This record gives sequence, C-alpha cells and structure tokens, in this order.
Amino acid sequence: MKILACVKQVPDSSDTMAITPEGSRVVPTAATVFRMNRYDEFALEEALLMKERIPGTEVHAVTVGPERAGSTLRRALETGADHGIHILTPEVAYLDPFAVASLIASWARTRDYDLILAGVMAEDDMEGQTGQLLAAILDLPCVTSVMEARVRPADNEIDLEREIEGGLRMSVLTRMPAVLTIQSGINTPRYPSLSHVLRARRQAFEVMAMDGPALPGPLSRCTGVRLPEISSQGVIIAGTPREKARELVRILHEHAFLA
Amino acid sequence: MDSLTLIIAEQDGSTTSQELLELVSFARMLPGGGNPTIVLVGTARKDRAEKTAATTGCPVLALTGDHLGLYNPEAFCDAVLEALGDTEPAWICLAHTSTGVDLAPRLAVNLGATCITAVEGISGTTLTRAVCAGRYCADFTPSTACTVVTVLPGAFPPLPASTDTAGPVEHRAVSPGPCRSRTLGIAENTHRDSSLKDAEVIVSAGRGVGTRENISMIRELAGVFPRAAVGASRPVCDLGWLGYAHQVGSTGQTVSPKLYIACGISGAIQHLAGMRGSQLIIAINADPDAAIFRFAHYGIVEDLTTFLPILLEELRGG
Ligand SMILES: Cc1cc2nc3c(=O)[nH]c(=O)nc-3n(C[C@H](O)[C@H](O)[C@H](O)COP(=O)(O)OP(=O)(O)OC[C@H]3O[C@@H](n4cnc5c(N)ncnc54)[C@H](O)[C@@H]3O)c2cc1C
Repeated sequence: MKILACVKQVPDSSDTMAITPEGSRVVPTAATVFRMNRYDEFALEEALLMKERIPGTEVHAVTVGPERAGSTLRRALETGADHGIHILTPEVAYLDPFAVASLIASWARTRDYDLILAGVMAEDDMEGQTGQLLAAILDLPCVTSVMEARVRPADNEIDLEREIEGGLRMSVLTRMPAVLTIQSGINTPRYPSLSHVLRARRQAFEVMAMDGPALPGPLSRCTGVRLPEISSQGVIIAGTPREKARELVRILHEHAFLA
Repeated sequence: MDSLTLIIAEQDGSTTSQELLELVSFARMLPGGGNPTIVLVGTARKDRAEKTAATTGCPVLALTGDHLGLYNPEAFCDAVLEALGDTEPAWICLAHTSTGVDLAPRLAVNLGATCITAVEGISGTTLTRAVCAGRYCADFTPSTACTVVTVLPGAFPPLPASTDTAGPVEHRAVSPGPCRSRTLGIAENTHRDSSLKDAEVIVSAGRGVGTRENISMIRELAGVFPRAAVGASRPVCDLGWLGYAHQVGSTGQTVSPKLYIACGISGAIQHLAGMRGSQLIIAINADPDAAIFRFAHYGIVEDLTTFLPILLEELRGG
C-alpha cells in the first residue's frame, strides 16, 4: 500500500502570536515555537501503524507551508515516514483551505496513493475541511473524524468507526483509494526513534516551490483579526495569588458551595 | 427552487430542531437571505418536512430515498446537487455538526463555491469565526458567487417558532447512485459512562495542568466540595491522564452543574459546547486572553501549578 499523511506546521501556543498593526492577520513573533499539528500526529501515527501491519506499505508525508515548515516534515521522517514532500509557499501568503487542498491534490493526483490521511483540523485555523476538500477535488470517498480503522488490503476496503455527536459512533465501509480525517485519541503517537532520526538526517525531501501564478487563488479573503471582547458579566479577580485565593474562597462561601 | 439561500439538514439525523431554527435566523441575516428554502435529506418515513414548514414558515424541499436514512457523504451530496439542477444559490447553510462539516466542503468543490466553517458572526458578506482555540476571531469575505457555510450551534438566536402560515412543502424521491463508501450503522460508544451527570460541582482539568501528576491537585480541589466530580478536556483524555468518561464537550458529555471550575482549559468551542450551561463558571488560566474568560463569571489569571496549592491551603485554613 501507499499512504500519504498530510502534516501541517502550527504555532506551539497561540499566546506567542501577534496581530499585525493593520489588524489583518495573526502572525508569529520571535517567541513563537512551531511544531506539528497534534491531529496530524495522530494521522501520521495511524499511517505508521498500517505500515507495521501491512507488509510492503510505504508512508509519504506532505506539508504545505513556508521554509520553516520543513522542520515539521523532518519530524515526520524522524518518526518513521519513508519520504517527504514539501510544497513550499511564501511566508506572507494567506492560503485558504481550498488552496492548500489544491496544492496537495496536484501532488497526489498522479501518484496512486491507496489512502490519504489528514488530521480532523488544524489547531491554528480550525477550519476542519482540508481532508474533505482534497477528497472532493480528487473525486475520492472521504470519511471524517475516524476513531478506528481496519484496512483489508486483499479486498481493497477499509472498515471505519467515525465519531459523531452525543457519544455515538458511525460504522462506515469504504473502498480504497480514500481520504480519511483522523480524530485525536485514535492511537498514541510515537516519538522519533534514533534509527529514524539518523536516517532522516541523511535523507533529503522533495521540495516543490509554489509561487506567484503557481499558487491557486484563495476563494476567500481574511479581512481582519482581533481579540474577542470579554463579556462584561465576567470578573477577573485581581491581587496577589494569595489575595486571589482568599477572594475565590469568599465567593465560594457566598454562593454556599462550601460547607 | 428560486431561493438564493438554501439550508440543508438531515431529515432523520443529527441536526436538531433548535439548530435548524438557528440556521433560519442566520440565513435571514445574509444579503438576499430573506426567504431561505430548507432542504431536508432523508427517508420518507419522518414527517419532519411538514413540521419544519409550519414552525419556520419557509418553503421546504424534502429529498427522500431509502438510501438516505443514515448520513453518507456521496449519497447526500449527489442528492443535493441533483435537486439544485442548474439553479445558482448564493448561500448554502448547514449546521456545524459532524454531518455539516463533512458535507459542506464536498458540496463546495462541486459547486465551485467557497466553504467557510464554524461561523459565529455575520456582517454583510463578512463572516466571523474563531481561530487559535478561540483566542482570536477572524473575518472572512468569500470571493466566489456561491458560499457554503457551516454555522456554529448556539451562535445565533433561534428563530421564534412562527404561528404564521406554513411554508409550501415539496417531496421529491431521489434514486440511489453508485457510492464508494457505505454507512453501516450507528452505535453507542461503549467507553462512556455518565459519572459527571449527577455532580453539582465539576472541577475540570485541561492540558494546562501540564502533567499527569498534577491531576491530583484537581482531585483534591474537587474533594473540597460535596457531590463533586472531576471533568476533563479531550486532550487530557487523549493523553491518558484521565479516562474518557471524564470528557466534557461536544464529543464527550454535556453537563450543567451548579459550579464548573475550568483549570488550564483554553475554552475551545467543542469544550464550551459541553459546559456552557453551567450556572457558575470559574476559570483558572495563565493566559489572560484565553477564550474561557469570555464565558467565565470569575476568572483568575495565574499559573495553576503555583496557584492551586495556595487555593487548597486557603480552603483548608478557612
Ligand atoms: C470534532 C472535534 C471534537 C472535539 N470534541 C471535544 C470535546 O468534546 N471536548 C473537548 O474538551 N475538546 C474537544 N475537541 C478539542 C478542542 O478543539 C480543543 O482542542 C480542546 O478542548 C483543548 O483542550 P485544552 O483547553 O485542555 O487544551 P489547550 O487548548 O492546549 O489549552 C490549554 C490551556 O491551558 C493554559 N495553561 C497552560 N499552562 C498553564 C498553567 N501552568 N497554568 C494555567 N493555565 C495554563 C493555556 O493558556 C491554555 O489556555 C474537539 C475537537 C474536534 C476537532
């Protein structure tokens, strides 16, 4: 089998990000540390588990992003992916999910992947649609929020459980090739192993630079970003930690929560 | 079908009547959205179409087929595309549920439309949604003629059920086409129990507790209250620090205790969906801009690893 895992680089924590002076975008600062989107770690792990179970399986990892996203792709190789593809885009460009999905589709279209795995959403943009868009662009079936996947390579089919509201699971059977979006908690993502780290150090990954006209035009524009207003009913308790603790105890007594 | 605005929901599935009424009030705020058509996809066994037409006053198109009982992306998308024919709607609205967010991008690609998900605000053609765990909100303007939107449940006031004249209802049978995926059934997840349901006080741990060991502080704090339980955000369960029975949120339990204390929880929409109904919400978080403070009645901006021991001391001393 041939599996493509889509991995995105995201800021480790959004409180190191800043809004541009014109208020048009959230951008990293010098304090921002980047890492792999956690949902994609679960997707990559699921791909690696399939590789362990099914002989002859190859796992490719693809990322769309600026130069710095290369470190996330390297991490995927260190964790066990066999091959990496960096679709390199300018740092300043706002790429909507459709542009990202189109770029991944342009790589995947002719490469006969049996499965394409992505996280259910990116922790920064929280759109949750890249996998579904990719499937629609490539005209493949898609199963979202996957919590269990059992591949039956002989039948070219895969049995899946997807998570829906209210603690329910939906069972789905799909033919391959297919796109799956992976929900957190499906597995326990592994850490890079020494042997893979050493291999990844020697291994180059493929870089496809996408600039200017090669970039698919976004279907939407991000026109402004701001911190949401804090609701007026809320009270932020001030003082030293000790004073805050005392005030909280007073409030808990006032509301009769403490005996 | 001549509406410029469509609402799509499942006849039998997960979109609740409340969510449908919220979708109608959202649609009415769209430019040209005054009289949306509601498209219900499902089997012919339910009478939801008539009810929906009566409560909303909107025209309802029921697309029915035995193959549409359980949600399937390809079958639902094909049914809607066939019904659309060559009409060109400007807006297609779905609820931001497991179904809505699954179907919306597929529809969008097939219609050459933009897809914008988890929308919680609107002004003109500008749609607002949360990014970065709700820390920021961002405005998006579509540049295509048609836009597919998923609307966050709870973000818009539901349309008051109308006593006006019911909208017209049309039933249209849809025949099944070829699908590469098959939906086999829906079952209860066996890992769940309802340990949180009876608690009057819930003290919840988020990823901000930092380590498995720190969960003991959360337990200790819960132990101070009678009828209290320990809750958790999803990542805390994914990390194995607490079992999934403790998970609060859209894919965990929905709780409404008298007191909810959120410790190191950012306040992502999926978590809020499960605890917004709590009577009193107290949040402890190191980030003053964390989204949870927008919903908390009392907020404490502190590192919980140093603050909780002080709080526990004060609680014992008091
Ligand atoms: C389809 C879907 C369904 C989901 N369902 C659920 C669900 O049911 N329930 C759920 O909870 N999530 C759910 N999620 C995940 C959700 O989107 C968030 O990722 C999750 O709620 C975040 O958990 P958190 O707040 O614990 O972690 P984070 O978002 O990582 O936040 C940690 C917080 O802790 C604070 N912090 C860090 N260190 C400290 C410290 N020392 N002291 C004090 N504060 C600190 C940080 O400032 C931050 O605000 C779902 C996601 C998807 C895509």
